[in-house]
Amino acid sequence: MNKIFNINLGGYPFTIDDDAYQHLNWYLDTIKSHFSDSEGCEEIVGDIEVRMAELFTEQMNGQKILTRKDLDEVIKIMGSPQDFGAAAESSEEFIDEPVKKKRKSKTRIKTGRKLFRDNEDKVIGGVCSGISAYFGIQDPVWVRLIVAVLFFSGGVAIIPYIVLWIAIPAARTSGDRLSMRGEPVNVESIGKMIEDEMHSFSETVSEFGREFGSKKKRITPYSDLQEEPYRKGFLF
Amino acid sequence: MKIENARAQMRKGVLELCVLSIISKEEAYPSDIIKKLKEAKLIVVEGTLYPLLNRLKNAELLHYNWRESTSGPPRKYYYLTEEGQEFLGGLKETWKELTQAVNLSTKKQKV
Repeated sequence: MNKIFNINLGGYPFTIDDDAYQHLNWYLDTIKSHFSDSEGCEEIVGDIEVRMAELFTEQMNGQKILTRKDLDEVIKIMGSPQDFGAAAESSEEFIDEPVKKKRKSKTRIKTGRKLFRDNEDKVIGGVCSGISAYFGIQDPVWVRLIVAVLFFSGGVAIIPYIVLWIAIPAARTSGDRLSMRGEPVNVESIGKMIEDEMHSFSETVSEFGREFGSKKKRITPYSDLQEEPYRKGFLF
Repeated sequence: MKIENARAQMRKGVLELCVLSIISKEEAYPSDIIKKLKEAKLIVVEGTLYPLLNRLKNAELLHYNWRESTSGPPRKYYYLTEEGQEFLGGLKETWKELTQAVNLSTKKQKV
């Protein structure tokens, strides 16, 4: 099961599922922040949106809902902001590596760690793994051990754990995951993350295919209902 | 020094020349430009083109017209300004010199 949204991408209407929507938002935001210094940033992003919409239209071929898989393919064609960032300033190619690195680090958007719960590495609520990421502890097992000892020696840790579970947000987006680990959310790290995700995606593609097959069947009747108010429900 | 980097730099160097000469033949829609560049294996990821077009436009070498499209919203069609024509002429000149220079120097290396 997955929520869906109706969106206006570059003037084309699409129905997109939640996961793909979040990722698309993040991708476009990354491009935006990458070009935020250059004149005509809005225009570049607008043009890229139009092109992505065209690629989606070609790809959909009667399919009704855009999924993460479709998005990943289009992002692969468009490239990560890191790739086309190099072309944004042609002179940058001729600058020596160290200087280039120094300059790139200026494009950093956020630094420092943020406390998140790690939903992808959890035993109960991902609080321990989030805390270890926050303090830079490589293996969350140490934090878990301490918490487990406190659990069983009189239950001192139970209430604080539940409070933290409620208070700390889960790391939902790729940007969250980066700031959880304290990696700067800049173009390089996000580019790296896209590559990693592409890689793991190709590994799990068969599994996902099966899962997607069953999801699609469930969602289709709902999307028929959605088609009527298509044009009213634009999200951006 | 990685060979891939060197290759990418060479390709990027001629990208402006190629984009301008594609547009000089007829008014061009970005997706058509991409198609041609991809056929020529000049770009790997499509996102590269948009910042480039924007830069050329800001430098007053390009302008665009909006044209209605049958299959979606109106499209931008780029064309060369007079400055753009001159610029392209200059680049072509340099390209000729470059090919001669490259031919000459690579031949010498072989002997």
